[in-house]
Amino acid sequence: MIDDHAAPLAVSMGEPAGIGPDLILRLFSERKGGEVPPFIVYGNAQFLRERASRLGLSIEIVGARPGAAGVIFPHALPVCDVEGDVPDTPGEPQAGSASVVIEAIAAAVADTRAGACRAVVTAPIHKAALYGAGFSHPGHTEYLAALCATDGVTPLPLMMLAHEDLRVVPATIHVPLHEVPKLITTELLIETGRILSRDLAHRFDIAVPRIAFAGLNPHAGEAGTIGLEDRDIIAPAVAALEEEGIAVQGPFPADTLFYPPHWRQHDAIVAMYHDQALIPIKTVAFDSAVNVTLGLPIVRTSPDHGTAFDLAGTGRGSAASFRAALKLADRMAEAGR
Amino acid sequence: MTATTPAGPRPAIALAMGDPAGISPELTAKLLATEAVTDAAALTVFGDRRVLERGAEIGGVTLDIAVVGSVEDAAAAGTGRPVLVDLGNLDPTDVPPATASAIGGAFATDNFRHALRHAAGGKAEAVCFTPFNKQAMRAVNTDYDDESRFVRAELGWSGAAKEFNVLPEVWNARVTSHIPLSQVAAAISREAILAELQFTYDTMRLAGVEAPRIALAALNPHAGDGGNFGREEIEILEPAVADAIAQGLPVDGPWPSDTVFLRARKGQCNAVLTMYHDQGQIAMKMMGFDLGVTLIGGFPFPICTPAHGTAYDIAGQGIADVGASVQALLLASRMALRGRATA
Repeated sequence: MIDDHAAPLAVSMGEPAGIGPDLILRLFSERKGGEVPPFIVYGNAQFLRERASRLGLSIEIVGARPGAAGVIFPHALPVCDVEGDVPDTPGEPQAGSASVVIEAIAAAVADTRAGACRAVVTAPIHKAALYGAGFSHPGHTEYLAALCATDGVTPLPLMMLAHEDLRVVPATIHVPLHEVPKLITTELLIETGRILSRDLAHRFDIAVPRIAFAGLNPHAGEAGTIGLEDRDIIAPAVAALEEEGIAVQGPFPADTLFYPPHWRQHDAIVAMYHDQALIPIKTVAFDSAVNVTLGLPIVRTSPDHGTAFDLAGTGRGSAASFRAALKLADRMAEAGR
Repeated sequence: MTATTPAGPRPAIALAMGDPAGISPELTAKLLATEAVTDAAALTVFGDRRVLERGAEIGGVTLDIAVVGSVEDAAAAGTGRPVLVDLGNLDPTDVPPATASAIGGAFATDNFRHALRHAAGGKAEAVCFTPFNKQAMRAVNTDYDDESRFVRAELGWSGAAKEFNVLPEVWNARVTSHIPLSQVAAAISREAILAELQFTYDTMRLAGVEAPRIALAALNPHAGDGGNFGREEIEILEPAVADAIAQGLPVDGPWPSDTVFLRARKGQCNAVLTMYHDQGQIAMKMMGFDLGVTLIGGFPFPICTPAHGTAYDIAGQGIADVGASVQALLLASRMALRGRATA
C-alpha cells in the first residue's frame, strides 16, 4: 500500500532535448499500475507541460514541494520548479537550458540529503551542453558526489549495474582498454570491496554480503602464465579484504564467473573494466539494467542509457530501465528500516 | 548394418578421450551411446578401454562398440559401430580424481596425437576431443599454450588456424586470445582484423553457413565514444571494416561490445569478431554454456570440442550434460561432408 505521506523519490529531469523527460512523463502516466513509486520531478514545469503536450499525454503538472508530493501524485505530477527558459527542442540541446539542468540535480540532492525525499533518480544529461554553463565535473556521478561532500570531504562514488540479483561493479570505467591494467591497484580494489560490502549491507539488507572478484586476464591469468595482475594485484586485495572479515572470493576467470549458476553464488561481482561488467549485465537484462551509485550518503539510481536524442519527443524508446531505476531506488531507500 | 547419411557415407571422425580426472570419460561414453552422433559419423575413439568403461558406468550408458588393439585393426573392425583403439595407456585407478595431473595430461596428449595422426594420414576427416585440462597438458608439454599451437606443431602446419566458438545462433572469433589484457591493444591491427574477418567468413561457409554476417566488436568502452575513451576504433577498427567491405565481406561495426551480442540475438548478424578473449567468452558462455562448441579451423581437417572444461566439481556423478559434445561432433560431421563437396 502506498503511504500518501511518505517522502517521494526525487527525479531530476536531465537533458531537456533528450529522452529523459519523455520517460518520466510516460512512467507517471502508468503509475496506476502500482509499479511506479511516488516521485517528484526537479526541473522546469513549463517545459514539461510542453513536452507532455507534444507526446499527446494529458498530464496535469503542478508546482510542489516534496512534503506535498505524496498527496498530489495520484492526481497530478508534482514538480519542484527550477525557473528558467527551457524551450522544447527534442534532439537539439540548448545552451540556455544548462543552468536549469544543473540546478535541478543540486536541488534534488539537497532535498534528499535533508530527508524530504527518499532517494535521487537521475535522468540522463548531455555533458557537452553543460560545460558552457560552468559545469566542471567529469560526469554526472562526480557531480553528485561533489554535492554530497561533508565537511569539505567528497565521498568516493562507486558505480554498480544491477538487474535483479546480478550486481556488478566495474573497478575502472570510462577509460581506454589499454589503460585499464595500470589503473587496477590493490588499494583501489580494497577500497572498492569495502564500499561495496558496506552498501550491500545497508542498502540491500544483505546481512553478510558475498563478493566475488573477476580476473583481469583470460582464465584469471592461469597462475601467472597469462599476465601477472591477477596473482600480484587482485589476489592480495582479496586476501586483505578477507582479513577484514569481508566474505570475498576470487579472482575468478570472468567468462565462467558470469555463467548463471556461478554468479548466483555471489551478491555482487567486482569487474576490472567497463565491458567486463556491462557485457554480462546487458546479456541478462537487455534494456532494463539500472545504474546505481554506491558510496554516497544518499541513494542514487539512474537508467542505464543515455539521452537518445534520436528518440526524444517521439514517444518511442523503452522505459524499462527508468522504471527499474525508480523501483530499485524505492527498495534501497526502504532497506535497513 | 552400414549406416549412411542422406548426403552419403558418414564422415570418419577421430575422437580423442580427454582429461581422465574430470567429466571427459563419461562424456565420451555418452557420445558413443548417442544415436544422433553415431548416425552422423563413423567414430574411431583413441583412449583406454578401462577408462571408457568407467565412464560408461558413471554415465549410466551401455557401450555398443568394437575394441581393437591397434589402429591398423580399426578399419577391419568396421561393422558400422564405433571403434575404440585401446591404447592401453591408463589404468583409471592411477588417476587422482578431480585433479590436474601429469598422468592425466599424458593420457590426453597421447590420445590427441593418435587422433591427429589418424586424420593427417587421411583415415579421418575431422578430429574431436572431450575436454582437456590445460594445467595437466602443461605438466607434460612444455610451452603448451592452447590446442591450436599444439596441433600446429604436431602437424608442422604453417598456414592460418584459429579458434571459433560456435552456438546455434552465433559464431564468435577473436583477434587475440590467451594473452595478458595489457598486450591486447598493441596486438590489434587493421591487417589482423581484416585477416580474421576473411578467415571467419571462409570457415563459416565451410561449415555450411550460407550467408555469414559478421559484426565487429569495439575495443574500448562505448566503442571509444568518438575518441574520448581510446582512438583504436577511429584509427584501426573503422578502417578495417571499410577494407573488409571493399573486399566484399558482409561486415559491420565496430559496435560497443556490451550490446554486440544482442545484435546476434536479434538476428542482425550471425557472427561476432571480438578483440580479446573475455569479450566474447562472457557473452557466449552466458548465452549457451551447455551448447557451445569450440572449433579450430584452418587445418586440413576441422577440430571440434565442447567449449566447456573438465568440470572437476561434478566429475564422477553422471550428471555431466553431453549437449555441447554432441554439437561438437555434429559440427565436425557437417564440416567434413562440406569439405568433401568442395575438395
